[in-house]
Amino acid sequence: MATVQLRNIMKVYPFVSGEQKKGKKKKTDEPEKKSNLQITDEGVVAVQAFDLDIADKEFIVLVGPSGCGKSTTLRMVAGLEEISGGELYIDGQLMNDKAPKDRDIAMVFQNYALYPHMSVYDNMAFSLKLRKVPKDEIDVKVREAAAILDITQYLERKPKALSGGQRQRVAIGRAIVRNPKVMLMDEPLSNLDAKLRNEMRAEILKLRQRIDTTFMYVTHDQTEAMTLGDRIVIMKDGYIQQIGTPQEVFNHPANLFVAGFIGMPVMNFFDAELKKDGNKYFVEVGGYRVELAPEKEKRLLANNVSSQPITLGVRPEHTDVGDSGVSAKVDVAEMMGSSVHLHVNANGKDVIIIVPTIDMESNYKFGDTVHFSFSGKVAHVFSKETSKNLEY
Amino acid sequence: MKKDPGAAVSAKGGGSKLHNTAVYIRQHWQLYVLFMMPAFLLTIIFRYIPMGGILIAFQEYNPIRGILGSEFVGFEHFQRFLSSPDFMRYLANTLKLSVFGLLWGFPAPILLAFLLNRILSKSTKQKIQLVLYMPNFISVIVLCGIVRILLSPTGMINSLLGTQTNFMTMPEAFRTIYIASGIWQGAGWASIIYTAALSNASTELKEAAMIDGASIIQQIKAVEWPAIKDTVLIQFIMSVGNIMSVGFEKAYALQTDLNLNASEIISTYVYKKGLLDGDYGFSTAVGLFNTVINVVLLISMNALVKRMNEGKGI
Repeated sequence: MATVQLRNIMKVYPFVSGEQKKGKKKKTDEPEKKSNLQITDEGVVAVQAFDLDIADKEFIVLVGPSGCGKSTTLRMVAGLEEISGGELYIDGQLMNDKAPKDRDIAMVFQNYALYPHMSVYDNMAFSLKLRKVPKDEIDVKVREAAAILDITQYLERKPKALSGGQRQRVAIGRAIVRNPKVMLMDEPLSNLDAKLRNEMRAEILKLRQRIDTTFMYVTHDQTEAMTLGDRIVIMKDGYIQQIGTPQEVFNHPANLFVAGFIGMPVMNFFDAELKKDGNKYFVEVGGYRVELAPEKEKRLLANNVSSQPITLGVRPEHTDVGDSGVSAKVDVAEMMGSSVHLHVNANGKDVIIIVPTIDMESNYKFGDTVHFSFSGKVAHVFSKETSKNLEY
Repeated sequence: MKKDPGAAVSAKGGGSKLHNTAVYIRQHWQLYVLFMMPAFLLTIIFRYIPMGGILIAFQEYNPIRGILGSEFVGFEHFQRFLSSPDFMRYLANTLKLSVFGLLWGFPAPILLAFLLNRILSKSTKQKIQLVLYMPNFISVIVLCGIVRILLSPTGMINSLLGTQTNFMTMPEAFRTIYIASGIWQGAGWASIIYTAALSNASTELKEAAMIDGASIIQQIKAVEWPAIKDTVLIQFIMSVGNIMSVGFEKAYALQTDLNLNASEIISTYVYKKGLLDGDYGFSTAVGLFNTVINVVLLISMNALVKRMNEGKGI
């Protein structure tokens, strides 16, 4: 258990011979092409301006799309990648130049990384043997970890004789026997099928209650991030977009990217106009007027926001189908069991609405006309210019 | 009604492996005719039919009368060779050269592959590999010429040592020269197979070992060695199977009258007897003796390795 501080961390992959010229040429030939990686004279920037304080025993989840720099950040904490700039502290000690073995961390990998020629027992005992821990102590620790993870019956088996879920338990077991200060997990559930993933997610939550350590967990799956993390760090293009509790990032997304990334199905976005009338704010969207909630108005006022074109965001679960509101045609109705995801088209704009099946009078079909509306309480107001949430 | 051979396989379920293979071959016979037949025919024509020539080992072979017309003498040539006063010397020289060659030469490419695998810069690795592979493309005779020049009394080695020793005339230096030059020429090229096998070693596993606290040697032991172990074993079995097949050209090219005591091996003896003295029957018998020992060694080593390695072998 330990605190972890990342101070202005940066990762630049230097060009290898010949690559720089190629990269530069491409840049000048296609200046308008946007890449998710920044290319500078030094090389390709994978992570930058990464500042994060992780409290003791906190469960932090780094989440973002592929190539956003989340795994690179985790690998820098592990010592598997050199830190190009900034400082990393574990328990107050500067770790930038320390070897992975001297950081007192353990890591669980996506592909389990189990030694194929060793039994489960030997895999779990390996790091302790290298540290010259007495045999009796190793035995106690391995059996304890195996009991926690319910893999005692597999201790003599080789990894190839185990299922994906069992292998991942062994990988976690190998990490916990060391009782590390920080437990790093790099997409540990990505190789499992959906059912097993759900089960293992619950297992990790239980495990967290049983072992006292700080967790850093990387995933691209927002459900995993929301269910596991005390706090979530949402990343894009090497930058942190928002840090907050699952509730905070869901209810108060800092920008358009976070709003679109967190939540399933994705948030609906509308081109709209924010109007200020004295101390009152309202939004005009497609000829309709949406009154904003007083607390939203208060925040906009505090930020001195003026009338301007905006992007209005409303989550599908906050959009209601009724007798009045915007008229739309049903394109697709996805039956999800407890709800139906309605994909509708309103004047050329695709909108998703979640309708609880309990509220449904009949099944929706292609071409049906529905009317939807939403309250100003749940609408998010994003600047057209900066994509930032104008409330924060 | 057309019978579905695939159905036969699944219906049988527990049917013999041989039966299933036969069904599979029947199902895909075109594949076997197109791809396997040319190789099969070439093997028969160039590998099996010439085996008839071993009959010469049991004959007083006369090129004019041919194989069918020459006099049959049974095991006379074998007896003559085994009872010859030089037999033990030739056998010992051959075995020493190959066993020491195997002991020193076999681990060299493996070590080289481990070292190459540690080079992180791709371009540096490629350049080093190029330098290491190049000696393989020098012909044996040119290599022996280089060795003779380097080791001559006025050569570079003597200049460096400040001596004027003629190493090529020293029987005790022959094996070292033969083996060391062989390692220099072949280790780089032989490391390709291990380098390729090492590319299968999981990077994640190596990183996991680093986090576990493994040193470089422990990483090699826990991650890299298991990745190439099977390849090493197969290569080892093959090498043991060739233990008597010491190349004739190099030994002959490095041979001098004064180092004959160490450099006269079975293959140089076969060459001299067969081609220089025209004693074809005798030299074929010696060659056959060589091959039989190789086959016995190959089978024994394979059985031994299989017993020690969970049934894995050739």
